[in-house]
Amino acid sequence: MNDSNIPVQSLKTLIISMLSAVFLAFVLLITVVGPAEFGIDPTGLGKMMGLTILAKPLEKNAKTVVSCPAGVELENWLDIVVITVPEASGLEYKFHLNKDAKLEYAWTTSGDKLYFDFHGEPQGDTSGYFKSYKEATDSQFKGALAAPFTGSHGWYWENKTQTPVRVTLKTKGQYTVKGLM
Amino acid sequence: MEKSKHLITDRTSIFSSVLVMAVIFLLSPEVYAHGVDANTKQFLLANQGVAIGPFLYIGSKHMVTGYDHLLFLLGVIFFLFRTKDILLYVSLFTLGHSLTLFFGVLGNIMVNPYLIDAIIGLSVVYKGFDNLGGFQRIFGFQPNTKAAVLIFGLFHGFGLATKLQDFALPEQDLWKNLLAFNIGVEIGQFLALLFILILLNFWRRFNSFYGFSVITNTLLMTGGLILFGYQMTSYVLNV
Repeated sequence: MNDSNIPVQSLKTLIISMLSAVFLAFVLLITVVGPAEFGIDPTGLGKMMGLTILAKPLEKNAKTVVSCPAGVELENWLDIVVITVPEASGLEYKFHLNKDAKLEYAWTTSGDKLYFDFHGEPQGDTSGYFKSYKEATDSQFKGALAAPFTGSHGWYWENKTQTPVRVTLKTKGQYTVKGLM
Repeated sequence: MEKSKHLITDRTSIFSSVLVMAVIFLLSPEVYAHGVDANTKQFLLANQGVAIGPFLYIGSKHMVTGYDHLLFLLGVIFFLFRTKDILLYVSLFTLGHSLTLFFGVLGNIMVNPYLIDAIIGLSVVYKGFDNLGGFQRIFGFQPNTKAAVLIFGLFHGFGLATKLQDFALPEQDLWKNLLAFNIGVEIGQFLALLFILILLNFWRRFNSFYGFSVITNTLLMTGGLILFGYQMTSYVLNV
């Protein structure tokens, strides 16, 4: 029935042990785990130890990309991705194209308009130079690009609203996906 | 006298090398008990089709770096001295978590990951309490330890399943990836156990093992309660 020889502790030891466990767990949760993980800091000790920096607001900065989302037909596109742009922040999604390679694209947002900059950066360039193809604020955009040079080409989207916006991006052409930057 | 002195230096060197390993392991920045790290996430989101190697690796990494599973295992084998018993109990745990991992993912059974991880925290508390003889002392009976490890194994498996279900994994050949993940989990468990057993066996040579067993199991309960509190807070904040 029972193969292990567990030494049975006295009632006193047990009670002390249980109380210490509960007490210690409670203290650590309030002073360390709460401040560091959730920014909940009732004692103020977490802030003193600098732990509250670790706690990121929930659900914020959740930049996500879902490839081939369920319920979306590929039709004659090569790739379809759904990119989530978190509230009050921006992100870049890029493709690598050789010079003169073609990229056909169409994207729509889940409703809200996003500021975007469609641009390209030459490969190996370290000066920060980029060529902007289109800069606007809209909830959809489509067209085709013949890359003027070899390098990364793609979008910068900025979500100025207070809720996350999803972008469904459909592409085809002679490219390799570099993805979220 | 000379011989025992020699033995002690020998033990000390084993101990210190194990300690160094432990420190390196703890310092590694990508140690998460819940969820997966950014690179793994990217892979899981982008992956299509069968990928045996990566899933093996993710599975074993999840186990080696998952301190909730490790604390529970430590509790389970704390008072197991015979290899036969260790094998039996670990097999029961493996059986339990493999069953729910497969049924959970293939059957698409959605369980709240925070609640499951909270229960996993409680499994650690249970084992710490059990190792103090708490059930015998307070309730006057000993619940079947084999049944307990199997049942808690089921919960740990659901915990593993929820980590994978966070990602809409492609249906095609899903079971192959799952099998790879599960084998990875067993490899990770084996490695972690080896590590825990080396430490435990070394410690058992000293009287302090029994002297400190109360403190160790109290700390085990503490750790379990912290995990429980952490997961319940996440649950409440995410509802």
